[in-house]
Amino acid sequence: MANVQLKGVGKRFGDVEVVHGVDLDIRDNEFIVLVGPSGCGKSTVLRMIAGLEAITEGEVLIDGQVVNQVSPKDRNVAMVFQNYALYPHMSVFDNMAFSLKMRGMGRDEAEEKVREAAQILELTPYLGRKPSELSGGQRQRVAMGRAIVRNADVFLFDEPLSNLDAQLRTQMRMELRKLHMRLATTTIYVTHDQTEAMTLADRIVILKDGAIQQVGTPIEVFEDPDNAFVGRFIGNPPMNILKGVYRESGGNRCAMVGKSCFPVVEGKAASLTDGASVLVGIRPDAIKMGDAVDKLPKEWLCHGEVVLSEILGGQSHLEIVVDGETRLIAEVEGRVVAHPGEVVPIGFEFDRMVLFDPESTNTIR
Amino acid sequence: MREASRDRIKAFLTLLPSMILVGVFVYGFIGNTIWTSMTDWGGMGALALDPEKNFVGLANYVELFTGFLGSGFRQDLVNAVYYSLMLLGGAVGLGMFIAILLDRKPRGEDLLRTIFLYPMSLSFIVSGTIWRWLLAPQGGVNVLPTYFGLEPLTFDWLSSRSAILVFNWQDILRILLYGVSLVCILAGVAVLRKNRRKAMRRLASGVAVGLFVWLFGDVVPDAYMMREEHGFNLATLGIIMATIWQYSGYTMALYLAGFNGISQDLRDAAMLDGASAAGYYRHVAIPMLKPITISAVIILSHISLKMFDLIFAMTGPDNAETGHPALNMYLTTFRANEFATGAAIAIVLFLIAATFIVPYLVSQYRERGRR
Repeated sequence: MANVQLKGVGKRFGDVEVVHGVDLDIRDNEFIVLVGPSGCGKSTVLRMIAGLEAITEGEVLIDGQVVNQVSPKDRNVAMVFQNYALYPHMSVFDNMAFSLKMRGMGRDEAEEKVREAAQILELTPYLGRKPSELSGGQRQRVAMGRAIVRNADVFLFDEPLSNLDAQLRTQMRMELRKLHMRLATTTIYVTHDQTEAMTLADRIVILKDGAIQQVGTPIEVFEDPDNAFVGRFIGNPPMNILKGVYRESGGNRCAMVGKSCFPVVEGKAASLTDGASVLVGIRPDAIKMGDAVDKLPKEWLCHGEVVLSEILGGQSHLEIVVDGETRLIAEVEGRVVAHPGEVVPIGFEFDRMVLFDPESTNTIR
Repeated sequence: MREASRDRIKAFLTLLPSMILVGVFVYGFIGNTIWTSMTDWGGMGALALDPEKNFVGLANYVELFTGFLGSGFRQDLVNAVYYSLMLLGGAVGLGMFIAILLDRKPRGEDLLRTIFLYPMSLSFIVSGTIWRWLLAPQGGVNVLPTYFGLEPLTFDWLSSRSAILVFNWQDILRILLYGVSLVCILAGVAVLRKNRRKAMRRLASGVAVGLFVWLFGDVVPDAYMMREEHGFNLATLGIIMATIWQYSGYTMALYLAGFNGISQDLRDAAMLDGASAAGYYRHVAIPMLKPITISAVIILSHISLKMFDLIFAMTGPDNAETGHPALNMYLTTFRANEFATGAAIAIVLFLIAATFIVPYLVSQYRERGRR
C-alpha cells in the first residue's frame, strides 16, 4: 500500500525526448490507467516507476521516498507484462514462488502464500503445470499471481490483456476490477484501449507524445475533455469534431456549422466573440433519434439523411448527413431502424456540446 | 488412386536414393566393421589379395579389455574418458562464463566475441602446432613467469610421466558398478521434490547396487589377471588446454545466442522478482538454455571421442602417455595391419559415442511425441 508521485518526470533516449515533464499524484489504493496511442510514452512512464528505465529528469516517489536511485527489486513493485513473461522452465507454482524464494522466504511460508494466491485466481489445479501447458487466460492469471503473492506496494500492468481474444479480455477485465476491490493495492495500468481505461480506472491519465493531456475520472474525461485529442481518443465511436464559426446576435448564441445553427447553452464559452472560428465537438450518443427526440427542446431538432447504418444489436451506429454537407456519426438505440437514404428527424443534446479553439485545440469553457 | 497414398509414394521415391546411399555407405559399413571386428584378419597375410579371415567371435574385444596386449588400449581409453570429462567441464564452463560476461554488454562486445570465436576457425593441425610450441619444455608457457621476475616453470606439459587418480584395472567392473550406483542416486535426488515415489525407487536401487559392491565386491570378477594401474596422465593436460582453448569460443557463441534469445521482459521480470544478476543466470537463463547445454555436451563429447589430428600434431602418434583410442585405431589398423583389432577399437568408440547420443535422441522423440 503506497501512494506514487511523479514530479516533472522526463525521459530522453539520446536526442529524442519521449516523455516530457510528467506530474502525477497517484493516491493510495487508487486504480490509475495510463492511456494513449502507441508511442505516446505510457509504457516508458510505467517502466520508470518500476525502475527498469533510468529517469532522465524529475523524481519518482513511492510512499514519499524518492526512488530514482533505488534498484527495481527494492522498490517493492510488481509488474505484469503484456506477453506474461513467465519463466518457461518452471511450473506455475515455481513461477509464483520465485520472487519469494529470491527474497529468502522459507519454503513452507512461500507455499502457503502461493496456495492462497492460486485460490484467489482459481489456479490451484494447474500449480504443477508448465506455462506452455496453459491457455492464454490462465497464463495471464499466473502472471497476476506472481504479482500478488508478494504483497507489493504497487502493481504495474503493461497492456496485460492485449494478447487475449475479445471475449476473454472482457472477462479478465472484470476479474481485474474485482481483484483490485479485494486487495485494494495501488495499481497503475497501461493500455491503448480506451474501453479498458473507461471500465477499469478510478482516474484516467491520457498521454500523447509523452505529455499528459488530461487526468480525470472516466466520466470527467468523457463529458468534459480538456482538448480535441481527448475528445476523439476517449469514447467509441469517437467524438464528432466539426469546423464552425461562433455567431452572437442579441440573446442568440450559435456555433454555425455549414448552414446550421448549433445553439451554445447559457454560461458556456462566455469568452468567445462574434465571428471567432471554433471546433465543435458532439458525442455520437448526444445525437438522438426516434422517441428520444421528443424530450429535447424544439430548437435542438432538425432532419438528417442516413447514409450508412451499422447495427450492433443493443445499439446502432449511423452515419448521418445534415444540410447536405455536414457528416456526423450517431450512436442510437438498436430499435431505431433507419435505412440508408431515409431522411429522419434527429435531435442534439446541445448542453453536452464542447467547443475547442482551432489553434490550440484546447476546450473553450 | 487416392491423393494421400500417391503423395506417400512420391515421398518414398524422392527419399529412396539417399536411403540407399546411407544404407550402404553408413549402416552397411558399420555392419562390415562389426563383422571384421569378429574375425582374425591381421598379422602376416593381412595384405594378401584374398586374406584369410576366420570368425573368432568376441575374442578381439576380450583381448582389448582383459588381454596382455590390450594394456596400451586400456590406457588410451582411460585417457579418452578423462579427456572428455575435462573438455566438457572446461569448454562448457568457460564458454558459459565468457558468454555471461559478454551478455552484460561490455564496451567492445562485438570485437571480443570475434576474438573468442576465432580459435574455432583454425584447423587442429595449426592450433596443435602452435600449442606444441607454447608448451615446449623451455619455451612458451614455462618461461612466462620469468617476465615477472619469477623462476621458470619446469613442468613437462606433453611428456610428463606422472599420473593422478590412479586405479587398478582389475577393479574396473566394481568401479563401473559404483558409477551406476552414483548415477541412480543423483537421478533420484534430482526428482525428489517432484515425484517422491520415482525418487525413492531410484535412490533404493542406487543404494542397493552400491552396498552390494561394497559388501560382496569379491563376487564381481576381476577384469584382468594381474594388477595393472591406469590413471589420469598429466601429459594430457596440455592437449586438454589446447582443446578447451579451441572450443570454449564455440560454446560461448552457442550460449550467447541463447541469452540473446531470452526476451527483455523475462529479464525485467526476474529483476523485479528480486533476482540479482547472478540469480538471473542461475535460476532463469541457464536452466532455460538446457537444450543448448545438452547440444554442447553431445557435440563436444563426440568430438573428444574422435579426437585425432590435434593429438597427432601436438605429441605425434607414438607418445604412449597422451594416446587416444582414435590414434590407436589408426596405428593398429594401418601400421600394424591388425585390421580386426582396429575394427574392434572402432566399434568400442562407436558404442561409447552411442551411449551419449542415443538417450538424447530418445528424449527428443519423446518430447516431440508429447507435443
